Amino acid sequence: MATVSLKSIIKKFDETQVLYDINLDIVDKEFIVFVGPSGCGKTTLLRIIAGLEEATNGEIEIDGVNVSSAHPIERGISMVFQSYALYPHLNVFENIAFPLRVAKLPKLEIEKLVMRAAETLQLTDRLKFKPGQLSGGQRQRVAIGRSIVRNPKVFLFDEPLSNLDAALRGEMRVELAKLRKSLDATMIYVTHDQVEAMTMADRIVVLSEGKVEQFGTPMELYHRPKTKFVAGFIGHPKMNFLKVPSLSANSKGISVELPEIGEQLLPVETSAKEISGDLEIGIRPEDLKLSKTAKGLPMKVEVMERLGSSTLVYGSVSLNHKFCALLKGDALVGEGETIKLVASPSSFHVFDSNGDAMRRREVPEVIN
Amino acid sequence: MGKYTLLQKTGLYLAMTVFMTFILLPFLEMFMASLRPLEHLFRSPYQFWSNDMSFQAYFDIWNTVPMLARYIFNSVFLASVTTALCLSFVIPAAYAYARFHFKGKSVTLGLFLAVNMFAGAVLLIPLYKLLRSMGLLNTYAAMFVPGAAFLVPTGIWLLKSYLEKIPIELEESAWIDGASRIYILRKVVIPLAVPGLIVVGVATFIGAYAQQFLFAITFNQKREFMPLPAGIFEFVGYQSVIWNQLMAASIVGIIPVLLIFLFLQRYLVEGLTKGALKG
Repeated sequence: MATVSLKSIIKKFDETQVLYDINLDIVDKEFIVFVGPSGCGKTTLLRIIAGLEEATNGEIEIDGVNVSSAHPIERGISMVFQSYALYPHLNVFENIAFPLRVAKLPKLEIEKLVMRAAETLQLTDRLKFKPGQLSGGQRQRVAIGRSIVRNPKVFLFDEPLSNLDAALRGEMRVELAKLRKSLDATMIYVTHDQVEAMTMADRIVVLSEGKVEQFGTPMELYHRPKTKFVAGFIGHPKMNFLKVPSLSANSKGISVELPEIGEQLLPVETSAKEISGDLEIGIRPEDLKLSKTAKGLPMKVEVMERLGSSTLVYGSVSLNHKFCALLKGDALVGEGETIKLVASPSSFHVFDSNGDAMRRREVPEVIN
Repeated sequence: MGKYTLLQKTGLYLAMTVFMTFILLPFLEMFMASLRPLEHLFRSPYQFWSNDMSFQAYFDIWNTVPMLARYIFNSVFLASVTTALCLSFVIPAAYAYARFHFKGKSVTLGLFLAVNMFAGAVLLIPLYKLLRSMGLLNTYAAMFVPGAAFLVPTGIWLLKSYLEKIPIELEESAWIDGASRIYILRKVVIPLAVPGLIVVGVATFIGAYAQQFLFAITFNQKREFMPLPAGIFEFVGYQSVIWNQLMAASIVGIIPVLLIFLFLQRYLVEGLTKGALKG
């Protein structure tokens, strides 16, 4: 059992405010990912949960107990650092045993626990090595070993995979997912990589400039982003945005004027007064298709990336709106051409002038 | 690598030769003088090499100044105690300066530098009064206490910059695992700071060895506590100075220190360059 609740967390470093009124309720055994661009406050928030920083205001509860000013050890947390923070002068065994030595456990028990952790992480033949003699992935595993050995209630990970190369990162992602199943603990994971967030999280917290933009499951964030920021941050390649004039609104949705397509009804929930002036629409590259007719968003292709299974096309639509489309691998397009793109009306996202999304009426069932 | 052109290389070696000549030539002359019989020293014209040279002075020194061995021991002993005492203050202080934020941090650090600008000689009279009122005159403590005090500021500056290079995550990680500050200092910081500690230790030892003469002749009258630089004065008589033996005694006195240096040299270079590269 380990729930984590953050209540109105505010953090200021001298005059600079980095976190604004953060409220989160994390359920027992949940895998939560804090994601956001650098400088959004995600690491600071993690350090506040860890007890390495004190919040300027607000409360942290773990298992319903207020731990806002408790020592990390009393919170029952452990943390894996971005740099792994392995002790270079100690071998793998001693690195993993460190928290147990601090706790003054009997020698035999230390040995038993370290061996068990080493087995889980396939480190048994590396116990005599110093961290300097290990590969990046092994170091990463030692760091995880040190955090699981004392069986904490909550695991905190601070960008643990960012120092690994792409292939190893994919591998460690799978290993972390497996480890998570065997540990049965609550995990909070910080990353700037939305792929890590999407693949590992039960729920994702998207942070921007010290505020929670959205808190939800990966598919919720993908299909129902609440703001333009979340829409642009989640998903790869990034969502395309286009400013268009709005025409009218009714109970079925909102009508906008799309370049060279003309009036198009987009099925979103809206109140009538929001229709005046320009709106911003968003469309994901993977929802775009080549038009079979002459009608479609005209896109001048500037760069093309053929990936085999798909083709990424970069270019611009109606003067300077950078656009990207994910087309079929064998799509017949060439650089310099102007292609026509279409998408189903239900796949459009619509944002008002504040950047808030209008709720889409039709989304795939997967998000429930 | 071939980073330097021939011209640059020649210049480098030329500069090194000039530099080394100034440093090493006195030692050579010191050694040669110790080999010459006393009357040879004043022979004219100057002869670099002659047939009557011998190691006789090295045997005679122990009779001329019977307590010479004691002086050498005192020198090494005083420098060692000064270093140990100094480090016991420098380590916790440097750690605090490297890691904690507190009021007056930069002011006190600046003061430490300022203190270094006072030569010890300026403070001899007040120090004398202080030591007298503490009853420390004519003891070993009279030499190593002020000795250590003068070396602490430099030590703090040196070690502080070394400790700052130890990644803070290592300490945070230990802190999260429940380790106390003292435990972290003992088990994480000090083992990682060994090369830095050796640099500071050696710098302190050199400083202590060099400064003991001044403190010894002002704060101590007892012959059995005298370090070598003061004891060597016994070769200077009312009538004449036994130069060859004086030089021989000086060389013998340097040998223990020289041995320590040869042994530590490896660490010294490592310590001075470590942290320059990301490990």
